[in-house]
Amino acid sequence: MRRQNPNADHLRVLIVGVALLLCAASAQAAATPIPHGTLEFIAENQWIAPGHTLNLGLHFQLEKGWHVYWVNPGDSGEPPRLTWHLPPGITVGPMEWPTPRRLGTATIADFGYEDAVTLIVPIHAAATLPAKQPVQLTADVKVLVCREMCIPGKAQISLTLPIKHQAAPSDTRTSNLFAAARESLPQPAPGNWKFSLTDTKDSFVLSANIGRQITQAVFFPVAESQIDNAAQQKLAPKPAGFQLTLRKSDQLLNPIERLKGVLVLSADQSYAIDVPVSKPRAAQISEDVEIQLAQFASNRYRTLKEESQK
Amino acid sequence: MKRTNFYLILAALVLCAGPAMFAAAKVGESAPDFTATASNGKTFRLADYRGKYVVLEWHNNGCPYVGKHYRSGNMQRLQKEWTAKGVVWFTILSSAPGQQGYVTAGEENSYLAKMQAAPTAALLDPTGEIGHLYDAKTSPQMVVINPLGVVIYDGAIDDKPTTDLSDVPGATNYVSLALEQSMAGKQVQTSATRPYGCSVKYGDSSH
Repeated sequence: MRRQNPNADHLRVLIVGVALLLCAASAQAAATPIPHGTLEFIAENQWIAPGHTLNLGLHFQLEKGWHVYWVNPGDSGEPPRLTWHLPPGITVGPMEWPTPRRLGTATIADFGYEDAVTLIVPIHAAATLPAKQPVQLTADVKVLVCREMCIPGKAQISLTLPIKHQAAPSDTRTSNLFAAARESLPQPAPGNWKFSLTDTKDSFVLSANIGRQITQAVFFPVAESQIDNAAQQKLAPKPAGFQLTLRKSDQLLNPIERLKGVLVLSADQSYAIDVPVSKPRAAQISEDVEIQLAQFASNRYRTLKEESQK
Repeated sequence: MKRTNFYLILAALVLCAGPAMFAAAKVGESAPDFTATASNGKTFRLADYRGKYVVLEWHNNGCPYVGKHYRSGNMQRLQKEWTAKGVVWFTILSSAPGQQGYVTAGEENSYLAKMQAAPTAALLDPTGEIGHLYDAKTSPQMVVINPLGVVIYDGAIDDKPTTDLSDVPGATNYVSLALEQSMAGKQVQTSATRPYGCSVKYGDSSH
């Protein structure tokens, strides 16, 4: 028998090693280049469990000074747009957008994210999904990346995950990113906070009763063309809250029924709010009721006074 | 006494008119007048075009949203179609020196020739005065003014806020719609939209 070449052993070890490395790399999707940054899918859990929801993250890493946009981009720009390519039995839920920052200049207000951001997308797996082969989740992404100038980018990103009929443990490689993403999401406003919105001629006045005085508040509208993005938001602190005057957008020609958006009270306090516009008619009725009550009270007072004088 | 009252009324009127004179253009209101030098060296004043429809097109040759409409030939086609029907078309360049889209008169003339663009004139607005007068936010923001000098449309060029050339053919063009409806004596149905695109690169841009 021919004696084996010791170098061949080394080579074999090397080949196995490289193969293992490649294997490990394929389990974690590589970041795809976009203009002035990268984009990748990250999964919160190690596999997809049929009948359950898995959170997928769209993670943008940008060069210093460059930004991408919120769901409402503000005065210019556009949000990232996804076209999904999914196997049968997999559906996506609505994307969760972290609280944006105001970008731009004094006269042009854009809403978006600098440095890095993770947009969370829930992925629902049907209970009938067969656990035979891993599934590939793919999306074509169109994204506008801007600094002083804007560059449109296109990328196809993909992630392959196994399917198992058991609860999926979280993926420790992505848990920090998901934790950070959750912290930056607007929270639901506490149930005992009361908001109202009145429609004046040129503005909406958002009144909040939240049990404590508020001295700073900024509102980001989810829908375009409702409020003037660049106009200064005038805050009037109140003993138990605040009043915020939001100038209407010049593009708003018809009355709106609700104002939906994110209210930021401090760097780590942002809330998703959805406030119906008080009907002017209702306001009139309540005014009428007040007048009637006042008249009733004054009549009653007179009657009592007359009676006491008898 | 009478004279004092007169002055008081005059002062009140001036105070009332004050903010309105400086307020940005709004749909349904008079288009603010301006005078500007074009890339061809001629001077144009908006008020001289009463009696005609006027289109204002905010331009920045480096903006990919503007690029979509020029590389597809859409903007040039609109310019040719409407100026042939008597519409005055002003392309307005409000980028400040040093900012994206700022060009000299010569550079703009070369661009117009290369792109076979056909506006009535390309107005140079490096101070951003006209841009601010109309509160122009983006390129390509579009404004349509009727023969009475009233703004009848302000906003996006069409309903596809993207940089994709393939979105041009299927788009609803708001400028053409406004001109068609107004010329037919009808009310402009979509008179204000979000003007999608790149932010106008005014001199006050800071980042």
